[in-house]
Amino acid sequence: MNKKKIVLAEDNSTLSLLLKFRLEKEGYELFVATDGKQAVDLIESMSPDLILSDIMMPFVSGLEVISHLRNKLNLNTPIIVFSSAGQEEMVLKAFNLGANDFMGKPFSPNELVIRIKRLLGT
Amino acid sequence: MVDYQYIYDYYSNAPHLIQWVWWVSAILATGIVVLAICLKFIRSSLRRKSNEAAKFKTEYEALLIEYLYSGDESGKLTEPQKLIVSKIKDSIKTGFKRKLIVSVLYNLRNEVSGEMSDSIKTFYYETGLIHFAFERLKSKKWNIIAKGIGELRCFGIDEASHAIAPFINHPKSEVRSETHLYMVNLFLFEGLSFLDDLKVSLSEWIQIQLLETLQKFDNQEICDIRPWLNSKNDSVVLFALKLAQIYNQFEVKETLMDLLSHDNKEVRIKTIDVLAHLYGIEAKEMLKANFNELSLEEQISFFKLLEKLVAPDDEPFIEAYLFHKNFEIQLLALKILKEINFDKYIGLTKSSNDNKSLAMVKAVKVL
Repeated sequence: MNKKKIVLAEDNSTLSLLLKFRLEKEGYELFVATDGKQAVDLIESMSPDLILSDIMMPFVSGLEVISHLRNKLNLNTPIIVFSSAGQEEMVLKAFNLGANDFMGKPFSPNELVIRIKRLLGT
Repeated sequence: MVDYQYIYDYYSNAPHLIQWVWWVSAILATGIVVLAICLKFIRSSLRRKSNEAAKFKTEYEALLIEYLYSGDESGKLTEPQKLIVSKIKDSIKTGFKRKLIVSVLYNLRNEVSGEMSDSIKTFYYETGLIHFAFERLKSKKWNIIAKGIGELRCFGIDEASHAIAPFINHPKSEVRSETHLYMVNLFLFEGLSFLDDLKVSLSEWIQIQLLETLQKFDNQEICDIRPWLNSKNDSVVLFALKLAQIYNQFEVKETLMDLLSHDNKEVRIKTIDVLAHLYGIEAKEMLKANFNELSLEEQISFFKLLEKLVAPDDEPFIEAYLFHKNFEIQLLALKILKEINFDKYIGLTKSSNDNKSLAMVKAVKVL
């Protein structure tokens, strides 16, 4: 059975590692990008089934990643965005650009897994 | 050899000024070379340190994640977890590595919640990092103490409260603010009890931070703020007034009425604002009776209160200040009159002889 591919765009290396460990345990194949630019490259080369993206990232923000995916690549891949406290406006912008779900930091990795399963229908 | 002789002869026969210039040039050139060598040394040392930090960070991140996923449901440490804890215990003896581990833990604790967050706290206890934070509280340097308190706050160590409480009135504002934030972050409204013992001023910035922290929590059940409204520390009174306004403390209205005769003008003005917010109709008559004894700022605040709580029987009072010399009071009086008696207000446009006042009346008409 083919593993579902997930691209994770997150600049906090510890959190990335934690999520990679958790999601790989759940049977997903994870590709980690440390900034928005790397995320765009990974999305284009890996054609993931789902994207997890932080909003605030170096070089290219999470919003730009969503915009690129929806408007330039015309892909409908589900996107979950992570936001910190006080980024409510950014979350609204993310939804307007085409994000499917969001999780406010700090979040529970278990809850994230449930949301991923719901979006991927697994 | 001939060349050297030529240079020596040239130097010996040169005027003193030229010799001096040569000396200065030689010193500067040597200086530049020495500085370039130092710079190269510092840069390579920093690069080596940063590479080392990156290497250790990767190593500790992996160990931490392994620790977090090696637990079982019993809540006790498993064998792999014990092994990781002992490895970390060895590492934290070095200050550099200890800082690195704390930063890794701190970064992750800010991003995850629930069981993971609790596990990180357990890791902090088990590795003994908590003792180093307690040690920092004993330091003679204020910045070390502030960092120690900040660390204990981030990891939610509530048993440090007795050790941290003595810093409530610390001479350094940074230590004080860390202490106050610690109290409120860990004990919510109960943590505000530090206000009882606060002898120094509570800065506007820390007040904002405390209010922001309080609003983050689900439990918004506030305790009795009356003791702080009666505090001898004016900054505490001002902070309590903010609490009264944000948390709609209708039950403290009587105490607020007493504050209208407080010695501090700032407190009196803020009290009027809070009473306006809490519909303190009782304050209206009292302030009306003493209106002329109030300062200009209090008079403006009172008119703002009146704008909210105006009743038809206030009309004669308002009329008396329709053409007050202060622009803000005049504007508010006209707005209130327009609200309660529009016909009389329209009549003003015909009866007013003063061009300036007439312009004001017309301006309020379009508001």
